[in-house]
Amino acid sequence: MAILSNIDRHAAWARFMADASSRREPFGTLTKADLRAVVNEIDDWIEANALAFNQAIPLPARTQLTARQKAELLSLVVRHRFEVA
Amino acid sequence: MASGDTLCYFNALHGEPPASAFATLDTRNAVPVLDFDATTDEAIVFGGLMPRHYAGGGVTVTVGWMASSAITGTISLDAAFMSVTDDADDLDTKAFAAANNANAAPASASGEVQYTTIAFTDGADMDSVAVGEYFRLQITRDANSTTSTDDMVGDAELVFVEIKET
Repeated sequence: MAILSNIDRHAAWARFMADASSRREPFGTLTKADLRAVVNEIDDWIEANALAFNQAIPLPARTQLTARQKAELLSLVVRHRFEVA
Repeated sequence: MASGDTLCYFNALHGEPPASAFATLDTRNAVPVLDFDATTDEAIVFGGLMPRHYAGGGVTVTVGWMASSAITGTISLDAAFMSVTDDADDLDTKAFAAANNANAAPASASGEVQYTTIAFTDGADMDSVAVGEYFRLQITRDANSTTSTDDMVGDAELVFVEIKET
């Protein structure tokens, strides 16, 4: 799977700021450019580590789950790790 | 009346959204505010009547605003007037005059209101709004930094607008 398009990275960046603004979460001294760089680096990191992630999924799930299902599981696991109970 | 006198005051509830890309109504501790996005240029319009005590000089627009949470960076804030002259200007077609801009930093703490001023000279700069004339004032967050740097993370929340004679 290729990296996100510039439009999609922009959308993720905008969505994060809008959601964080609605929660009024502080950003320290970060600028919009700093946050955009974070989005870019995360997307690049996912691309660079996609193979390792796939290899970590045990068989037979590795071959039977779709890429979308694996991505959804990754998203859910990461989300649950950081959600405050 | 004279220089320094308040001519008009608007709060967030006076805002008239344009057809698209408008600042959205929100509240902060029950105070109505208008949220301006960090990545898309958004605007709001206020309609007013230039008071009879206006002496015909330049005006200063003060925008009271907060950052949703940021305490660093700047926003690019545009203000533009549209006069509506008796039996002359067509609201179907009349456009705003060129905007004046302020490059404003947020207050030192989130929740504090920053007062940012934008000056207009008498005449074309404020679309020649005359005493007793209906006018519209458009406030825009130039989020893509067309006019000045807008690098502040998150929303800007408009609390009020004052127009005073400079």
